[in-house]
Order: sequence, then C-alpha cells, then structure tokens
Amino acid sequence: MLTDIHEGKTLPPVVKHVTQEKINLYAEASGDYNPIHVDESFAVKTPFGGTIAHGMLNLAYVSEMMTAAFGRNWLSGGRLRAKFKEVARPGDTLTINSTVNSIEKRDGVSYANCSFEVRNQKGEVVVAGEATAKFSRGQE
Amino acid sequence: MQGNTVNYEELVPGYEFPLASYELSASLVSKYVQAVDGAGDGFVPPLAITACAIATMAGSISLPPGTVAIHASQDLEFFKPVPIGTTVECHIRVVQKIARGKMGMLILELGIFDQGKEKVQSGKATIALPA
Repeated sequence: MLTDIHEGKTLPPVVKHVTQEKINLYAEASGDYNPIHVDESFAVKTPFGGTIAHGMLNLAYVSEMMTAAFGRNWLSGGRLRAKFKEVARPGDTLTINSTVNSIEKRDGVSYANCSFEVRNQKGEVVVAGEATAKFSRGQE
Repeated sequence: MQGNTVNYEELVPGYEFPLASYELSASLVSKYVQAVDGAGDGFVPPLAITACAIATMAGSISLPPGTVAIHASQDLEFFKPVPIGTTVECHIRVVQKIARGKMGMLILELGIFDQGKEKVQSGKATIALPA
C-alpha cells in the first residue's frame, strides 16, 4: 500500500499489453462473449474493423492500481466513475496514470479523490474518470 | 421477448432484468486474474463481480444481427470485500432510456448482494445500442 498520501501525489502507473488471448480469457471469466470482442470475422465487418477489448477489462486495470495503492480500503468504500472514450485493440499498450486531486475528511475518515486516465500507445485517452478511496493514518 | 432475451422496445424505465446469481469460484477468479494480469489477494477483485453482472445483462438483450452494444460509462461503489467462493445475486433495472437517432442509450442501475443479502456493490452503467 502507498504511504505519504497527499494532494498532488501520483500513484504508481500500471502498464498493460492487450492481447486477443487475454480478451478471450476475460470473456471466459466474465461470460461476456459479445462477438465484437472474440469473433474477428464478425468484428471486421463492424465500424471498429476488428476485435476490441471489453471496456470493463480496461477499467479493471484502474481497479488494480487502486487496490495496490489503498488495499482493502478500496474494496470496502471505494468509488469509481469512468467514461469509456476510445476502444483498446489487441496489440495496444495501455498506461494507467492517476493523481490525488484532493483529500477530504468526513466523520474522522480521510478520503483521497483521484483522477485517472488510461491511454494507449498513441496517447489517446481510452478511459478517464475519478476514483475515491478512504485511507488510514499510516498512509498519511 | 424470445426465450431468455429481451428486445430493445421492451427495455423501458422500470424494467427489471431477471435476477441472476453466480458463484465467484476460485477457478473463475483465477481466470479473471490471469486475464487482467492482476494479483490475487484472497478476495474477489471488485470489477470481476461487476463484469459478471454486466455480461449477464448484456447477454440477455436481443440485438439486430451484425450490430453491437457498447459500454459508454460506469459508476461503481464497493461496500465490502467479497471472499472467493461467495455467491452473489445481481439486480439490474432500467432507469432511463434516451433515443439518439439510430442509437439508444440505456442507463441501468445495478445492485449486487451476497448470500447474507448484504449489498456488496452498487452502480450505474450507460450502454449505447442500436435503437
């Protein structure tokens, strides 16, 4: 877990490579077999021109970053607001960055309000949003 | 409605998708963790739970051939860590439907409960799909 959480703090970035194999595995785990994700012959005829990763797969990387930073406080009390802006495709490399924008105290509990972005290797924003997690004294 | 699917026209505000329950088994979580390149910590990754709920809902919508539904936005709140092996029940209902030309936007509210009927997650999803 992170220590020294303060306004302006940058969370350790996460870098992920999107592959069709991982997309297929994600489809199996989630049960989401939408052909746009797993059927190249279908996907190539759509405006996307090929398969794309599940939006929730891209968002999972944000959750992973928040779990690494805030531990169980993310699993219990975490909040997330995300907009899917661009698709991720097999072969893409995604970099997830987040910064603590503000700290607020409610009922004696500290909360870190973070903004995040998931960008592809071209610098395009794939997912953007805000995440909030409480944190404990040891992390201040 | 055909079989277990629902047509776009039937998806009106107040419509509730059939309740879905699923076990967050060790094998499911292991597969999920591999797919997202994550690290297991004894609890179910919260987005694994959401993903199953969204997939169940999306799989029950009947779309015209050759078209796709796209996840536009997602809000979530997590209430408690969920141990591996928990069975959860997922409630999803349509709260808003917006028509935009040939596309429609569905705003869905979801609530996920454990076997003790405690809420483990709530959220809102916006899905774009052909009208």
